[in-house]
Parts: sequence; C-alpha cells; structure tokens
Amino acid sequence: MSANNGLVRITRSMLASAVLIAIVAALATAYTRTGGASRQSLIAEMLSNFILVLGMQVFIGNTGVLSFGHMAFAHIAAYATAIVGIPLAAKAKALPDIPFGLADVEFGPLGVTLFAVVITMIAGALFGVAVCRASGLAPTMITLAALFVVEQLVKNWKELTRGAGGLSGITRLQGNTWLWAGAFIALVIAHLFQETRIGRFAIATREDELAAPALGIRLFTARYAAWVLSIGLIALGGSLRAQSLGSVNPKQFTLDSGILILVMLVVGGMRTVSGAVLGTVLITAGNELFRQLGDPQRLDIERFPDLFLGGAMLLAMLLRSNGLLGNRDLAGWLRRRMYRPPPAVDQPAGTAADGAAIQPSTNTLVAREIEVHFGGFVALDGAGLSVRPGEVVGLIGPNGAGKTTLFNVITGLVHEQGGTVALGERDLTDSTPVDIARAGLARTFQNLRLFKSLTVRENVALASMVAGRHRRQRECPDPDVLLADAGLTDWADREASTLDYGNQRRLELARAAALAPEFLLLDEPTSGMSDVETMAMVESVRAVAARVGAGVLVIDHDLAFITRISDHIVVLSEGRVLAEGTPADVRANPLVAEAYLGSSV
Amino acid sequence: MTKLLQSIVDGLGVGSTYALLALGISVIFGVMHLVNFAHGELITIGAYASYFFFLHGGSWWWMPLIIIGSAVLGSVVMELVAFRWVRHASPFTLLLTSFALERLSHALWQIFVSPKQRAFPKPSWVFNQFKIADISFEVMDVVTIAVTGVTLALTAVMFKRTLFGISVRGAAEDFDAARLMGVRANRVISGAFAYAGFLAGIAACLIVMRSPAAEPSMGADWLLKAVIAAVIGGLGSFTGAVVGGLVLGLLETLTRVYLPDIAEGWDKFSTAVVFILIAAFFVIRPEGVFKVTHAERV
Amino acid sequence: MLEVDRITTRYGAITALHDASLSVSAGELVAVVGPNGAGKTTLLNTVAGLLRPATGRIRFEGNDVTGAEPARLVRSGLALVPEHRRLFKDLTVDENLRLAGCTVKSPERRRRLEEASELFPVLRAKWTTSAGYLSGGEAQQLAIARALMSNPRLLLLDEPTLGLAPTMVDVVFELLARLREQGRTMLVVEQNATRALRLADRGYLLRSGRVVTTGTGADLAADTGLFDSFIGTEAAPQR
Repeated sequence: MSANNGLVRITRSMLASAVLIAIVAALATAYTRTGGASRQSLIAEMLSNFILVLGMQVFIGNTGVLSFGHMAFAHIAAYATAIVGIPLAAKAKALPDIPFGLADVEFGPLGVTLFAVVITMIAGALFGVAVCRASGLAPTMITLAALFVVEQLVKNWKELTRGAGGLSGITRLQGNTWLWAGAFIALVIAHLFQETRIGRFAIATREDELAAPALGIRLFTARYAAWVLSIGLIALGGSLRAQSLGSVNPKQFTLDSGILILVMLVVGGMRTVSGAVLGTVLITAGNELFRQLGDPQRLDIERFPDLFLGGAMLLAMLLRSNGLLGNRDLAGWLRRRMYRPPPAVDQPAGTAADGAAIQPSTNTLVAREIEVHFGGFVALDGAGLSVRPGEVVGLIGPNGAGKTTLFNVITGLVHEQGGTVALGERDLTDSTPVDIARAGLARTFQNLRLFKSLTVRENVALASMVAGRHRRQRECPDPDVLLADAGLTDWADREASTLDYGNQRRLELARAAALAPEFLLLDEPTSGMSDVETMAMVESVRAVAARVGAGVLVIDHDLAFITRISDHIVVLSEGRVLAEGTPADVRANPLVAEAYLGSSV
Repeated sequence: MTKLLQSIVDGLGVGSTYALLALGISVIFGVMHLVNFAHGELITIGAYASYFFFLHGGSWWWMPLIIIGSAVLGSVVMELVAFRWVRHASPFTLLLTSFALERLSHALWQIFVSPKQRAFPKPSWVFNQFKIADISFEVMDVVTIAVTGVTLALTAVMFKRTLFGISVRGAAEDFDAARLMGVRANRVISGAFAYAGFLAGIAACLIVMRSPAAEPSMGADWLLKAVIAAVIGGLGSFTGAVVGGLVLGLLETLTRVYLPDIAEGWDKFSTAVVFILIAAFFVIRPEGVFKVTHAERV
Repeated sequence: MLEVDRITTRYGAITALHDASLSVSAGELVAVVGPNGAGKTTLLNTVAGLLRPATGRIRFEGNDVTGAEPARLVRSGLALVPEHRRLFKDLTVDENLRLAGCTVKSPERRRRLEEASELFPVLRAKWTTSAGYLSGGEAQQLAIARALMSNPRLLLLDEPTLGLAPTMVDVVFELLARLREQGRTMLVVEQNATRALRLADRGYLLRSGRVVTTGTGADLAADTGLFDSFIGTEAAPQR
C-alpha cells in the first residue's frame, strides 16, 4: 500500500508489541508482587511459552496449515543450548564422547542462544521443504513424523545427548530479563511478518488456496518463508527455556507439551498476534489455577490442568473455532488508523482530463484448437477464441458446452491434450496458474473466492503487492482508485465476508484488476444476481477494465449481460465453436436459439 | 531366510493391529472427513474395562465381549457428545476437536482412575511357543493374524453384502446423494462410529491379551501409528487402510531387524529411520497409495 | 400434490431463488425450463430437502415439508434424480439400487430390484458392473431406476438428458412418457426446453431465480418469444 513504507511498518510493529508486552508485564508484576519465588518461575515458564506460541502463530496462524511437530525444533534448540551452555568441566563428565569437537565449546547466553537458533533453523529449513511442498493432510503428518524422529534421535544418540536421562547444569539465566527481551523480540517479529509482502502472501494462501495462485502467489514460497521464520522463533523459545530451567530432557518436548502450546494459540485466536498473546495469558492463568486447585491440600485431583486444557480446547472448537479474538487484533486496528489514502481518488476512469487510466497493451490473447477429454468424455474438441487488447469478448453456450473447461485451460487449471494458448508472443500452453497470473491474465471465480477474513482494501492490496513485484512492466493501478471505480470506498475497512453479494462480486473484480493484468477473465460474474444488479455490473466491469487498460473475456449465462457488455461473442456447443460475431449477429442466429432451447425435432 | 520369515510374521502381527485401527479411522473419515485422534482412547477404554472386569472376578472367556462392547459404546458416545456438533466445521476445527477429546479422555482416566499402570494377569496360553521348520511362533502371533484375518474378511463381506455396509460406502463417496436415496444421516454416521469402535475393540483385545495392563496413555501411541497407516494407504480408502497398516508393521519390524546389517550401530535409530521414510513418502505422494475422491457437500 | 409457495433460497450471500412458486397436481408432468444460473437446480434441491429455504413453504400431499430431511421426504413418497446423476461410482449397479431401496424391507426390496431389472434391461446386462464404468445413457437409466426404488408418488428429475447423445436423449424422453402413462407425477427440469414443454402438461420458465412465465406445455412450446424470455427482454443489442 502506497502510504506504508518499511519504517512505518516497523514502527507500527514495535508499537503494537510494546503495548501488548506492557499489558502482560503489568499483569505479571501484579501477580509476582503478591507471591514468592515460585511465581517468578511461573512467569518465566509463561514467557518461554509465549515465544513458542508466537513461533507457532507465525506458521499455523498465517498459513492455516496445522503442525504438531514444532516442538521437535524446540527440542533441538534446547539440546543445542545444553551442549554449548554447560560449563566445560561438567560437560566433560556428562558427555565424555561428544563428537564434532564440541567438548571445548562454551558460550555465554547470547552466544548460546544464537548457536541454538542457527542450528535449529538449518534443520528446520531442510525439513520445511518437505512440509511446504506437500498438500492436504500430509504436511501435518510430516510434522508429526518430525516429532518422533527427533525424539528417537535424542534418546538414542547418547554421545551427543546423554539419552533419556537428559542434561543438567546449563548456566542459568539470572532473573527473567532475557525472557522478557526474547518475548518482545518475538512479538515484533510476529507483527512485522504480517506486514511484509511475503507474510501477507502467506495469509492469502490461508484464506483461499485456489485464489492465491490465481493472483500470482506461489503457495510453496509463502509457506516456506513462514515456516523458516517460525522455526527461528521456536528455537529462541526453546533455547531460552533451557537456559531458564538449567536442564533439558526428552520429556519436556513431547506431543503433550506441544498440545499445551497449541491450545494457547487456538483459544485466543491463531490468526492474530493479539489472539496468541491473549490465549497464552488465559491458558497460563487457567492452567495454574487448576494446578493449585488440584493440590493435595485442596481438591486433591492429580493432573487437573489436563482436564482444563482438553476442556478449553473442546469448548473453543465447539463455540468459537476462530478463537476469542477471531480476526481482531491490535496491529490491524493500528494499521487502519494509520492509513493515509493517496489524494485524488475520485477521478472517473477514461475521462480526458484524467491521467490515471492505463493504456491497453498490444498483446492479443489467443487460444487455438483446444482439445480436452476426461477419460472417455470429450469436453473440448478444437475450440478456440481470441481477445484483442481492450476488447470485451463474451463466451456463452448451453450447459455442458465446455465454456468453463476452456476458461480453465486458459488459466492453467486444466491440462489440454491438444492446442495452444498464447498471450502475444508468449506461449502459455503448459504454464501454471501462478505463472499465467504473473504473465498478465487475472481471473475471478464462479463461486467467488475472496479472502474472507481480510478487509476489502486488504484483498485488493494483496493483488497490488503481487503486481508491484511481478508486473512491473505495466503501470500498476492504485488500490484506492480501483475501489472507487468499483464503488467500494465506503466499505474499504470492512471484512470482505460482511459485504452484500453484489459488492463481493465487485470486490473480486477490483482485486483481479489490481494485478495490472492485460486481460481480465471473469467466470460468471453475475451468477445469482438480480436483473438490476446485473446491469450495474456492466458499468463496474467497464469502469474497472478501462482503468487498467485490460481486455475482458467473460463467461456468463445471463445473455442480457453478455449482450450489453460484449464487443464480440463466441458461442460454444458440445466442445466446439458454434457461432461467433457481434451480439446482434449471434442473437439473430437460429443455430444459437436451437442450441439453447433444444431442437424442435 | 528364517530371520526374514520370522520378521515377516512379527511384522504382520503388529501390522494387523495397525490395520484394524487404521480401518476404523478411514471409515470415520469416509463419512465425516474427520481424522479422529481420539480413536486411540477406545483402546484405553477397552483396557480399563477389562481391568475392572477382572477386578470383579471376570474371566478371560468373557473379556472380549466386555472390551468390544465398551469400545463400541465409547465410540458412539464420542460422536454423540462432540463430533455431531461440529459436523460441518472446517477440517482444521474437526482435527482439533478430536485432539481436545483425546486430551480430555486422557485426563479423565488419570484423575478418576489412576495415572499409574494397572496390570492384571494374562491368559496362560499367550506366550506359548511352537515351531514350524525352525521358525518359532508364539501362539499370540498366530491368534493375532488369524483374528485380524477373520475380522477383515467379515468386514469385507459386511461392506459388500449388508445394506449398512453399502450405505456407509455410498455415504463416504457422496453423502448428499446418499441422503437423497433415503439414507438417514445420523444413523449412518453413528453406525460408522460404532463399527470403527468394534474394530478398535478387537484390536484392544489383542493388545490387552499380549500385555494386560491399563494406563492412561496407552491409546495414544497406537493411535499415532494407526493414523499414519491410514494416511499412507489413502484416507478414506478401506483397502488402503489395511494395506497401510500391514506395510507399516512390516516396515517397522524389518527396519529394526535389518538396519544393523546395513549400517553399523544404527539399530537404535530404526524408529527414526521409519519416520523419515514415512515423511519422504508423504512428500512424493501426499494423497496416499489409494487415492480417494469425495463429492462436495451442499 | 406439490405446492411450492414463494420460497427464497440463499447460498451464503447469493439469493438463488426469489419468491418462487409452483404447483404440481397428481398425474401431471410439469417442466421447468430456463437459462443456466436461473435457479432450477436450487429449486429441485430445496424441494428435495437438501437446501432449506429462507422463507416460504413447501407442501407435499397437504403436509408441510419445508426443511425436512431428504431421507424423510423419500419415505413420504418424493424422490429426486439429481443433476449429473450422482451415482455411487464405486458401487455396482446392484448396490446402487439396493442402497436406494433402504426405505423398504428386504422382501419388498428384492421385488423392486426385479422390477427395475425388467424395466431397464440395459441395466440387467450390467448388474455387477461398477457404476463408474457405465456409459452416459446407462448411467442416466440407473439414476432414474434408483429414484424409482422408493416407489415415489412424485418424481423430480434434474436435467435428465444432460451430456447424452441424441439417441439416448430420445430414450430418456420415451422413458418419461412411459412413466407418465404409468401414472407417475413428475417435475422435470430440462435443458431441452422445446421438447420438454411439448411433452409436459404444464411448464414454468425460470430466470434469475424468479418464475417469469407459466402456462400449458403446448402454449409455452409454441411461444415464439421463448428465446427472448430466456435472454430477457432488456437484452436489445446496444452496439
């Protein structure tokens, strides 16, 4: 977004983090003032959990991919910490056969932490390739496997880890200062990530796995960035915890402890940093409360906190599966308050006095001789079309004619068995949706794929970000100008899911246009609209397309809409082009009527 | 050669139990798109039930009935109390719900029974051995493989011949179409859970006979392996679940036995190796061996 | 027999049906035609219980069945042949039919399976074949046979000729005619508007979720302005 440069983002992250940590510090101070040393160690535990939760938030919260295995990396970090954090004499006794020349290595707190973070991030980076390439449930399963692998390694590589007995004697941190510092750093990083381009791309992949690539966002890259960063934070948390406790052993990092962190993340709301903070504080408090209630002097119930944890998570899932805060968060609020829209947003597109309308490019979009069959069924049998720069082409035909298939072939979702697709000189025949979007074809979806929990402006801004990086050869439109063209200025800060249907369609249109495409490909943009809304849509499409200088290929069943908006119409029937021409030509063509109504045999 | 055959028998023994559990998981997934992490708790329930039964003077002859009955009951209650309410939620929410349930169940055992293991005597014949051509078999191994074989065969018949089985298969493929044919949603889902409970109950019998003890976390370990097996085979594929379970069992055993031969001093890393292999498999083929497609729901 | 009284059905933010009303009397064949996206499938899905209308009532044989579960409707005598058929591809023809026969007990079910194999000899030949391997025409026949297993008094069909070759289209229309002769009441959504209207007693034209025209089948079929109604009269070419 044009008004937000790097400095503003960092300031905002630090401000939000400072506020949150001040609140937590106030609570913590109130708590410890009324108690003894054991309260200090509870705060220490909470702070290291804090950092771990933020680590999980960076990945799970932003990508929507559930990972159970993050604790495995905390595990690695803790052991790495122990290995270089134990004084040499004690280490020689505990790990006499330690390999890699680590027998002579000892660092102070900063060195230990850095070492642990670096080692863990290397391991995480390798592992992350597998996690982020997979799809569906596989990433979750792979992270689960990580947990077991690390546990086994730690238990069995006795020369390095002393096995199940664990290691003690790590030089302990004095007080909680390091932990507070670590927590603050983690907060800033987590906040900042959601402000960066790659962070927002990750959020887009969370919101809609199909729409994100259709806007030029590569799933793997975004997820991988989130993963690596999250491992860094996890390592920080794991290392600081080890230094705080002074010892490590495999029992500290089982699936159980991972569940605790997960509950903290989920109860408050995993999508936002504020939610993660809230969850950590609440669950720590609740956990401690139940621990004390379960004390032999009171209710005498062992493992009472487990009941609390399971119950809290169950309630959260049944009642508020997005967590207590849902999509709300301090940083987001700040973002909206601090946003300064650029001047002169109300110039209509295409007017003589207005310099903001972008000229169409010179490339024609051509699909030739496309053949597609699914098993025995022939969906497309040599169909083709072309769209000239700035032209509006309507694609119509009865149900099952192959319109959507042709559309999906052009946008890379379906593979053709024959034929070619080209944009000017560039061959797009075997390209992926991501590359096709980056090449200049932006599409909308029949069943509307907005980034539902993001605001209207954020939806459009995401496409702008992609354009800013991958579409530099074209002039990129300003998001606020597009919002004005689509009539959405008043709703800019509302969550996309709260808009009424017509506006949601227009938002998807504006978002596609923000990609600075050469062609807009609209898939049934008036589906489900009333006649009045449909006619309004004609104006919106024209305004937006003119603003960005894009040609339009549109499928729709509403023939009134198509007739009004198209320069040229292509009629498909049974996988082939039945007729094409101007709207008047097509309307008068008896073959077309027959295709729609069925022959009078 | 003997070693190989021995390992295969052992592997099939372990794999059979995985297969039974994985099948239960795939059946539930088929009708609900839910990976039920609480499924392992049915084993814990079965074990505790048999412990209490034994405490009250029950004999091993009646044990299977008790164990299976409690597992079926537990499974149906689980659905009624928790999963029915999140039926249309996202996969993420469903997963976490099942996790929450597992935690709760775990905690309840620890609190209301005991966090310590409760053991009871095993039937006398379990560890009897006999030899066939140099390979020594334990009676328990044979019983495990035989029982599993019969159960799977009966399951196959059930799915092919009975109306209930056909309804579950249809519902797993296209839930809404099944409703349109007159299949009652609640019944087929409860039925699926009940059947999964039945399978888990049989698995629990085999586990408990081998080492009669009940402790709160016993379900969890089996469960993790079962889920991995089901996912390897392809979630929702019944054949896949069985194949996945057997493969996992064989993989574990063969790795444990042969890894020392391949790499010096690596035998203690055998579990780690197995999991690395699994992770690698998922990267190459995330949808599992037998891919299953499901119709979207309205 | 069926009264649909001003129903409005929504999918999230989309209103797919606005105040749509229609009625079907016993023994009638009523056709519903219209362009795609008009809400025809939504209409049938709402009547069959897959969707719940936001407002309006549906009455079947005098009883209010608004929002009833599909399974209950099937047992009350109303069955739907869904769009794209939605066969259970991993199940055989036999198993598909048996599943659909779940509303009756075993002996009666067996009898109906017999009837099905007589009415649809094509299916008898492929009795143990997986439904996924059937040709388009065979699949459509199975879909109709399935719906008939519950012996419905009202049969709903959603685009029964979709994707079929012309000869198979003929077969399906013949089948509809035969069922009509047997006295089955039917509500049919059809792509082949002209042909369906010719066969029907009465018809409804749906566009953008609203009922635009209604009349006897013959009248509508002969209406020269039918295509215009499809398109919408505002669609006078602008360029």
